[in-house]
Amino acid sequence: MAIAMKDLRQLGRYPLNLASLVFMPLYQGLIPSILFGAAFLVGGRALGLEAAVGSGDLAGFLFLGAVVSGVTASTFWGVAFGLRFELDAGTLEAVWLTPTRRDTLVLGRALSVGVVFLLTQAVLLVIGVFVFGAHFLPTALLALPALGLATISMIGVAYLLAAAVLLMKEANFFIDTTNFLTNVLSGTGFPITVLPGFFQALALLLPTTYALDILRHYAIGSRPLLDPLTEHAILVALAVVSFPVGRFVFERADRRLRRTGGLAQY
Amino acid sequence: MTLVADGRAFVAAIRKELRQLRRYPTWFFGSLFWPILLPAVYVLQGQAFSGNDPRAIDAFRSVTGTAEIAGFVFVGWALYMWLSIVLWGPGTALRNEQVRGTLEALFVTPSSRLVLLFGPPAAYLAMAGFQFVVMAVALRLLFGVELAPVALVRALAVIVLTVPAMYGIGALFATVALRSGEIGSLVQFVRGFFSLFCGITYPIVVLPDWARAIAQVLPPTYFVADARAVLLAGAALGDLLSDLGILLALGLAACALAAFAFTVAERGARRTGMLARY
Repeated sequence: MAIAMKDLRQLGRYPLNLASLVFMPLYQGLIPSILFGAAFLVGGRALGLEAAVGSGDLAGFLFLGAVVSGVTASTFWGVAFGLRFELDAGTLEAVWLTPTRRDTLVLGRALSVGVVFLLTQAVLLVIGVFVFGAHFLPTALLALPALGLATISMIGVAYLLAAAVLLMKEANFFIDTTNFLTNVLSGTGFPITVLPGFFQALALLLPTTYALDILRHYAIGSRPLLDPLTEHAILVALAVVSFPVGRFVFERADRRLRRTGGLAQY
Repeated sequence: MTLVADGRAFVAAIRKELRQLRRYPTWFFGSLFWPILLPAVYVLQGQAFSGNDPRAIDAFRSVTGTAEIAGFVFVGWALYMWLSIVLWGPGTALRNEQVRGTLEALFVTPSSRLVLLFGPPAAYLAMAGFQFVVMAVALRLLFGVELAPVALVRALAVIVLTVPAMYGIGALFATVALRSGEIGSLVQFVRGFFSLFCGITYPIVVLPDWARAIAQVLPPTYFVADARAVLLAGAALGDLLSDLGILLALGLAACALAAFAFTVAERGARRTGMLARY
């Protein structure tokens, strides 16, 4: 809790950064995509999107994609790269020396990132509904278990990434590209069925792909990739695998850093 | 200081920037990766939005003048990539000198201030040119869009006429960044502004009237429209004379504005001593 409170307090000191968490997804991805989609409208209807995913709610489709982009960004930048900030600031070694478990450092950060994620996504979805005319069905709530399972998987991924950024000298490019590719492969901006075959196979390894598919199915009535029950089962399997694997790799990285003295290196 | 000496200082400023670029070769990987993947995402999105429905593709053609989705997106994103180079490169050059503590030393040299302001952007032209080539090759190999040699020559002319505008935007941004100190969020904001108004991903006809009025006074809007016209619609340069004239005039105005803003900033800096502050 103390770690989460510290992170939230730091974020509160930079209100412009906080505001940009809402506005950056809007002007960098959502508005360009919605206007691009508007160029394909026939009599106000997204016929192409209807044919591709079974729902013509362009704004709803894209805003739900932004929710999962938010999950990915929180994992990649918030949790994993957050530890890198401590390393760059020279405070990571001091934090490591406290009698706090390493897991607490990662999970505490995940908690603060999760709170910020929920707040920013709530604002984004309200904007989606009232400004861009997105329509979400009440059955969207049925997707909450899938989102929860995907979050557990993504914490496992966060452990893996945290290990990688602590061991790397140049982590920025790595996080930027992997975050981008995860978003693309999860289908945040388009259905993964338009991806070339090899990339579709990769997409089906990501928990975010299934979580987003289930979310869109229940919230805007889109056609799911697989039966939702099967998708839930895959999400359970991915959570069971990725969490312990992530923790194991992070522990190995921790051991290596303590041996090499890399915690204090910048 | 003579004009010849200023010329030598200008060349030295370019060489210094190029040497620094060579020391950090990781930008090269980014130059191969981002100019292909960023627009490719929108091409895939376009395929999903069209759903291969002829009516949706016709609707797209009616507002853009072309049914070539990949070409339309890549030309728009060529401007985005150029803008990114201008903002992150020359746009942050003065601020970086300030952070390193070398800006004050540069100001006490007898070279013209214009060398400091307009030297770095010249070095980054080569980088922008390289990315244009990467994008054209990707367009051909990944999406099968073949650009005719004559169209490429015309596009080159449009690029040359856009150079003053990009110089002006970079120099103006450098002056603002020097005063604000907050580079990252400023780049995001300015790049976001241009990408929303200049029709990078979508035709500006889908914008509301007030936004279209803003787009009309931004030089990158003309670059995107004219480059698309010559590359995708087979337009000749003669068909675009008025547009190209506006583009050049806006570019020269941006350069003049940047030089004026820099003079004002310099005067303020001498009074407050902010050149050496970080």
